[in-house]
Amino acid sequence: MNTSLHSPLQRYRFAVVPVLLLLLVTALLLLAPPDGIERGPLLQFVGRFHPLAVHFPIALLFIVPLFEILGRKRNAAFLLPVNFLLMLAAGGAILSAVLGWCLARGGGYSGALIRQHMWGGLLVATASLVCWWLRSRGEAAAPSRPYLALLLLAIVLISFTGYKGGQVAHGETHLTEFLPPPLERWLGPPTPLTSISAVGEGPSTFYGARIQPLFEGHCVTCHGQSKHKAGLRLDSYAGLMRGGKHGPVIKPGDSKSSELFRRITLPQSDDDFMPKDNKKLLSASEVKLIERWIAEGASRTLSAETLAALPGNAPSQDAAAVTFPDIDPAAVVRERTEVAPILSRVQLRLPNIVEYESRTSADLMVNASWRGSKFGDDELAELAALSPSIVTADFSGTAITDRSARVIAAMRKLRLLRLAHTAITDSTIEGLGTLDQLESLSVFDTRVTESSLSVLTRLTNLRRVYAGGSKIPHDVAVPVQVREKLVF
Amino acid sequence: MSDAISRILAELSKVLPGETQPERGFALLEAQTRRHFLRSATGGLGAMFLGTLAAPLALSAEQATGEGPARIDISHDPRSPLGVLPPQFAPRAKRVIYLHMAGAPSQLELFEHKPELTRFDGQDCPASLLAGKRFAFLTGVPKLLGAQYPFHQAGQSGQWISDRFPHLERHIDGLCVIRSMRTDQFNHAPAQLLVQTGNPRIGYPSLGSWVVYGLGTENQNLPGFIVLISGGNTPDGGKQLWGTGFLPSVYQGVQCRSHGEPVLYLNPPPRVSAPERRRVLDATEEINQQRFAEFGNPETLTRIAQYEMSFRMQMDATDALDIRKEPDSVRTSYGCKLGESSFANNCLVARRLAERGVRFIQLYHWGWDSHGASARESLNLGFVDRCREVDQPIAALLADLKSRGLLEDTLIVWGGEFGRTSMRENRGGQVMKFVGRDHNPGAFTLWMAGGGVKPGLAFGQTDELGYEVVKDPVEVRDLHATMLYLLGFDHRKLNYPFQGLEQKLTGVKPARVVAEVLA
Repeated sequence: MNTSLHSPLQRYRFAVVPVLLLLLVTALLLLAPPDGIERGPLLQFVGRFHPLAVHFPIALLFIVPLFEILGRKRNAAFLLPVNFLLMLAAGGAILSAVLGWCLARGGGYSGALIRQHMWGGLLVATASLVCWWLRSRGEAAAPSRPYLALLLLAIVLISFTGYKGGQVAHGETHLTEFLPPPLERWLGPPTPLTSISAVGEGPSTFYGARIQPLFEGHCVTCHGQSKHKAGLRLDSYAGLMRGGKHGPVIKPGDSKSSELFRRITLPQSDDDFMPKDNKKLLSASEVKLIERWIAEGASRTLSAETLAALPGNAPSQDAAAVTFPDIDPAAVVRERTEVAPILSRVQLRLPNIVEYESRTSADLMVNASWRGSKFGDDELAELAALSPSIVTADFSGTAITDRSARVIAAMRKLRLLRLAHTAITDSTIEGLGTLDQLESLSVFDTRVTESSLSVLTRLTNLRRVYAGGSKIPHDVAVPVQVREKLVF
Repeated sequence: MSDAISRILAELSKVLPGETQPERGFALLEAQTRRHFLRSATGGLGAMFLGTLAAPLALSAEQATGEGPARIDISHDPRSPLGVLPPQFAPRAKRVIYLHMAGAPSQLELFEHKPELTRFDGQDCPASLLAGKRFAFLTGVPKLLGAQYPFHQAGQSGQWISDRFPHLERHIDGLCVIRSMRTDQFNHAPAQLLVQTGNPRIGYPSLGSWVVYGLGTENQNLPGFIVLISGGNTPDGGKQLWGTGFLPSVYQGVQCRSHGEPVLYLNPPPRVSAPERRRVLDATEEINQQRFAEFGNPETLTRIAQYEMSFRMQMDATDALDIRKEPDSVRTSYGCKLGESSFANNCLVARRLAERGVRFIQLYHWGWDSHGASARESLNLGFVDRCREVDQPIAALLADLKSRGLLEDTLIVWGGEFGRTSMRENRGGQVMKFVGRDHNPGAFTLWMAGGGVKPGLAFGQTDELGYEVVKDPVEVRDLHATMLYLLGFDHRKLNYPFQGLEQKLTGVKPARVVAEVLA
């Protein structure tokens, strides 16, 4: 009698523990739901094992129907471990639920997503426990209808719960984000889970146009409608200004003492740094935008134009800022097609005398002055083929004479010409009438006389003629527009 | 094995741009012992693993902001590492003469006219000026000190200048005076290093090294970066001020003596003929070339280049630095005295070097540290002498360059390493025998002239006591960025990979080209 009385209890005495645990979790979920407040580090430490643990019941539950089918169609041996697998799955699901509560309660989670995931998980645990009970009661060869129905339900539930869990961890669109377009069309447009742009936060205001999109892009996964870590919601202006469990995160007019700004500007290694956990970082300009917006009062209604026009935001230095031209290597090569082969030939003969003016240009600069008397008319003649490209030329102190006049006169693009300390005379200068780009000419310490000045009056771009030490007298009688160009 | 070979080839192609020489790679491999190979192989594996971890951190600022490639390709021909290279874009200046007044001249006695400071002369310094400040010598509550010399407006531009620079005053309309320079160093050596290398610590390439690295130098018979010293002392920052840091050492400044032989031991000893000397050099070069082929160390090339240059310099350096070749009238205009080592002589040499296509000419004149601790270090005595020593030569240099047309593409910079306080120094809390001022990193004056700067401009503003910058501050790195811009470079793109950073003259903090001072 005794044995028959006790037999059901004895038979299911191992089930008492999981059932009690299940009841405990249910009680916890009801009495101490996740409320967005972070708690003890131990709770969080234990809770962090939740994502690890959940994969066991998932895998085990999915393998059960497979074994049931295989056992019936192929080999009955597949049916043998099913009971044991179900027991493990139920145990794992209950353990996962306990850990999940720890994580949610301790890690400061709250919101609709968490609630759905939580209750889904609890139902999975219950369903798998009941499955095990039904399976261990019935005949392995002929499973009962309720058992099969419940198993199917457990599979559906665990898919749902797993998907919700994925949304909690990786964002609401973690599966559909990179959906191939044909598939997306077939599935229809995604329905946004969060809709934020309320009145006053439309794109006409600075907040609506520039600030709110930043929060949406970087923050609302954890601080949004479905999950508000630390009790903070950044999916609306009201939520932003209400702040979180530590109080307000924005101090209007003072970005430096605003908690939100402090956290996004910390070093990335800091524990308080936001966005956390490898979430997409804010760029420097985005941070700057937030800083400006807070500094100007963190207004909800301020228009974008007004903010831009506020003093202190005017890009004061922009007018005076220099720009660095980009080098387009292909274009430079194209421009140099003609001059390049000649130049490399000349450079071999006359090293360090002629070089491109810059890396962006096909124009040439010549400085032969350092060669002194080793550079004469013959060397200058080697530059003849390059003449049309030369923009500055310094022959000071070289041994050139009037014999080079023709080559120099062919340098049509010349802006600067130095002939100081050379033996050239007026006849060279008189040939320069064609150099209409010439801006600066030095005949310092030469035998050039004022008779060459007449040709220079034709050069409209000429700004300076350095005539010290030449035969041009300081008080030369020339029109004032020439006189003021002479430097002695 | 093939990994090691390709790594070595990659190393080699860095040294010899545009060439891949497999046989050289194999020669290098032959020089490797088994131990070398194993050691580098294990290191390599570890590095590969660490590399995967560090990858997200390795993004440079430019990459992170998506600004494209961050370095211009400076690849000198290894056989002539000082050869001319074109700048990034068309330059405004082709060479620099930097006149560094070592010890930091007082801006309040030269360019900063502050009537309010004169009005409060002798009054206790307000506590607000002292709060949170560190000084070299000021203690307690020092007294404000008005200008020691009268100021007046000069030239068409009407800039204020004191009576200490009567010669320079003639060029005031050609100067671009920056009154709002600022530094973060208040001791001479680090402050000089900051001004000359962009970094207060030793081990960084100097301004001149960067410029010669980027542009090479025209005259192949003279160093591209020459340093001349006067005032009886090397500046406190030492020879690191013209050091090359992590750049190849061929770009470091060469200090020349301003009398006697400019560079010692250039000429072969007696009884060694020039052809003999040539043969020795040829043999040395051959050995060095073999060495380079074996190990590919760029410093070997530096050594070869230096032997060659010293041979070529025998003629040209002696000539370039010999001011006896100048007519008497020119020497008189500078105030030169033959046979002595003076700032005047160095200024004349600087002009001769500029004419000869030397890229960067650096003059240091020591003795501006007017604390008031001794007659030499005082505003009422030593300072007067210093002003007299530099005034006429600088004016003559400017005039000479101007008359030759060289001022158009030569950038002249004059300045110290920081400013001096608006307060009279009270070392030991006592009234000192001589009048002086302490170091002030908060504001100092620097001027530029010539190539591409706006003449007759006074830029920036300090407060009414000349103590701190209140408008348009110019940090040292801004000055560097501006100088490089005038020479045709984007300071961010003239960089050199070292210790995992794209090292720049302007450092890691954002620097600004001061567009307002550009002509």
